[in-house]
Amino acid sequence: MEQKKLIDEVEALRESFDSTTSQIIKDLRRQEKIMVRSDQRQQREYDELQLQLDEIKRLNKEIEDTQREVLLTVGGIGETRSKETFNHVRRVAEYSKLLALKMGMGIEEANLLKDASPMHDIGKVGIPDSILNKPGKLTEAEFEVMKHHALLGYEMFNKSERPLLKAAAIIAYEHHEKYDGSGYPRGLVGEEIHIYGRITSIADVFDALGSKRCYKEAWSDPEVFSLLREQSGSHFDPKLVDIFFDCNAEFLAIREAYKDE
Amino acid sequence: MLEKLFVAPSKCTPQIDFDPESRILAVEGSSYPENTFVFYAPMMEWVKAYFGQESEQKTIVNLEIIYFNSSSSKLLFDFFDALEEASSSHDIEINWIFDARNEVAMEAGEDFTEDFSHLNINLVEKQ
Repeated sequence: MEQKKLIDEVEALRESFDSTTSQIIKDLRRQEKIMVRSDQRQQREYDELQLQLDEIKRLNKEIEDTQREVLLTVGGIGETRSKETFNHVRRVAEYSKLLALKMGMGIEEANLLKDASPMHDIGKVGIPDSILNKPGKLTEAEFEVMKHHALLGYEMFNKSERPLLKAAAIIAYEHHEKYDGSGYPRGLVGEEIHIYGRITSIADVFDALGSKRCYKEAWSDPEVFSLLREQSGSHFDPKLVDIFFDCNAEFLAIREAYKDE
Repeated sequence: MLEKLFVAPSKCTPQIDFDPESRILAVEGSSYPENTFVFYAPMMEWVKAYFGQESEQKTIVNLEIIYFNSSSSKLLFDFFDALEEASSSHDIEINWIFDARNEVAMEAGEDFTEDFSHLNINLVEKQ
């Protein structure tokens, strides 16, 4: 009798053990399945995210390229109206980037300056041809009208929130300011002039002097260099003039690479 | 009588709408709660109490889970376990509803029909 009771108990134990182990096995299989599914899904999601990220990068680049191209083209319009060459715009852009880098700016900001600098004379689209293309010296009244192009350019871009167009606004506004305060339109002095303005100023003048314009012949290199030296601290930021002469070969290489046909 | 259970949806948790009167239990939305088992504890308790009451009438379970993390997946298995247990004494019909483009949800539905062959599960594909 005792024996029978014991057997029943052990039988009951076995049943309970069986049901527990099969529950555990079921759970383990289930965990395994969940894990496999989850891994597959993660991989799929990750792949999908990567694809989308690539697409976003591509679109971003597209936007940036488009902005750059539009600015370069619009800058070119400003220049051709005043019979300057498209390559002038490109050279000024490259000189500006080089000066920015040598001043210690990061590559991104230097590129921003390069892309925005073609806008420096865009305000000239609002200046009458009679003044813009006048051979010889402008009268005082004509020069007052001409000076207006800085403000016109600023007003075109100033309302934008885009860093590139903000930079273009600053450059258009300040590229005729002079280090000693004798420039226009506001007569800012020294570092009151934004670094973008100071950089574009020397880049623009260096290129303009060496090129033929409706009102003047091209200057020789020694003439250009002596003017830049002379104007260090008056027209130009002396730090930038120093950089120009320290890295003169690099500037001349840019001029050569983008020379007028 | 058991009270209706309603949990409003959030970004990472689904809407839970269990109505003892209409006998429709619906879960709809995304499921990746910070603590899955804590989030679903009231639902699991409710289900236990609900099927603890005898009834001849059919219960419909509508599950439309757009996205779920691994612990929600485990929770769903537990939920189906509870339904399977109850199905011996209750008439239960389950609709696993998924978007045709949502492969993951479709596969999960297939897993459940495979694992719970005693349950009446319909895979309902939304177009």
